[in-house]
Amino acid sequence: MHISEGVLSGPVLASGAVVAVAGCAIGLKKIDYDRIVHVAMLSSAFFVASLIHVPVGVASVHLILNGIVGLLLGFAAFPAILVALLLQAVFFQYGGLTVLGANVVIMAVPAVLAHYLFLPLLGKSPKLTFGAGVLSGASAILFSSLLLSSALWFTDKHFFETCVLIVGANIPIMIIEGIVTGFCVAFLFKVYPEILPKKIN
Amino acid sequence: MALILLIMTAGPSFAHKVIVFAWVEDGNIYTQSSFGGKRKAKNCKIVVVDEKGTVVHKGMTDENGDHAFKIPKGVNSDLTINLEAGAGHKAHWLIAYDEISLPSDSSTTDAMTVKQNLEKGPSFFKILGGLGIIFLLAFVLKRFKRKSGVND
Repeated sequence: MHISEGVLSGPVLASGAVVAVAGCAIGLKKIDYDRIVHVAMLSSAFFVASLIHVPVGVASVHLILNGIVGLLLGFAAFPAILVALLLQAVFFQYGGLTVLGANVVIMAVPAVLAHYLFLPLLGKSPKLTFGAGVLSGASAILFSSLLLSSALWFTDKHFFETCVLIVGANIPIMIIEGIVTGFCVAFLFKVYPEILPKKIN
Repeated sequence: MALILLIMTAGPSFAHKVIVFAWVEDGNIYTQSSFGGKRKAKNCKIVVVDEKGTVVHKGMTDENGDHAFKIPKGVNSDLTINLEAGAGHKAHWLIAYDEISLPSDSSTTDAMTVKQNLEKGPSFFKILGGLGIIFLLAFVLKRFKRKSGVND
């Protein structure tokens, strides 16, 4: 899901950077003092998730976890994902520094969307909480794939082919992330409900 | 079935660290492409350009992520080997003109060392360092919010 350096055009990079900065500014302003540690915990989970590879057929996929980060943090997902992606770029050479803004937008916007779409389901019942996690995890990957396709479209204009390839290739990740996010959210709901957004505590 | 085949062959799209490595030997340029470690970049496009950006060679990697070709005639500058692995994944490797005109064992050895370093997975200390930085930033933000009295 990380776009490499030298792929996107200047305007796309600049637009990505502007949206990422705006999102981070809103996120930093919205972070509740008591929830800063939760932001750090979820940012850490995002940071290491990409190192966990799951074999699928002859390929291997890795977790992204933007769904759970967004569902639990809302706009605070922007700074959480920015820091994690920056460290991944510096330490693991994933993505890159010039493309950081675009990568943040591709992963954080779907995360925030998942928060506003599925937050009402959280905490209603264990089943609905699990469902909210599944939907957040899967939809965040789907929207990220569409944003990634759009970013590439502005560069090579083959939107449909690129979109089919990227969304198709990410279907296993959607399923895996949906299940992982569902179980994580349901587990957190049971053992550590303080990490869930305040509205439902 | 088509979708399953698409998914099974779309390994490159899942990865994110893309590496291309090239060296000169016996009048040929050999390239190896991967996503780090043992994950080979199969059936990916290789585009070779000279200093002016003129394409001097195009090809595809094989099942092992390898691609070899004869040094194009008339080359009189450095060559950049570009790997296009699809879905926003790209990498490049520069071959200096000296290496093309006067290939030596030492340049290949140096390149091999760089390649091995690139293919190494992240170390435990880097992961730990990253986590430490995240919590350090959280601590700084907490101090800042406490001082400024911001508590939305």
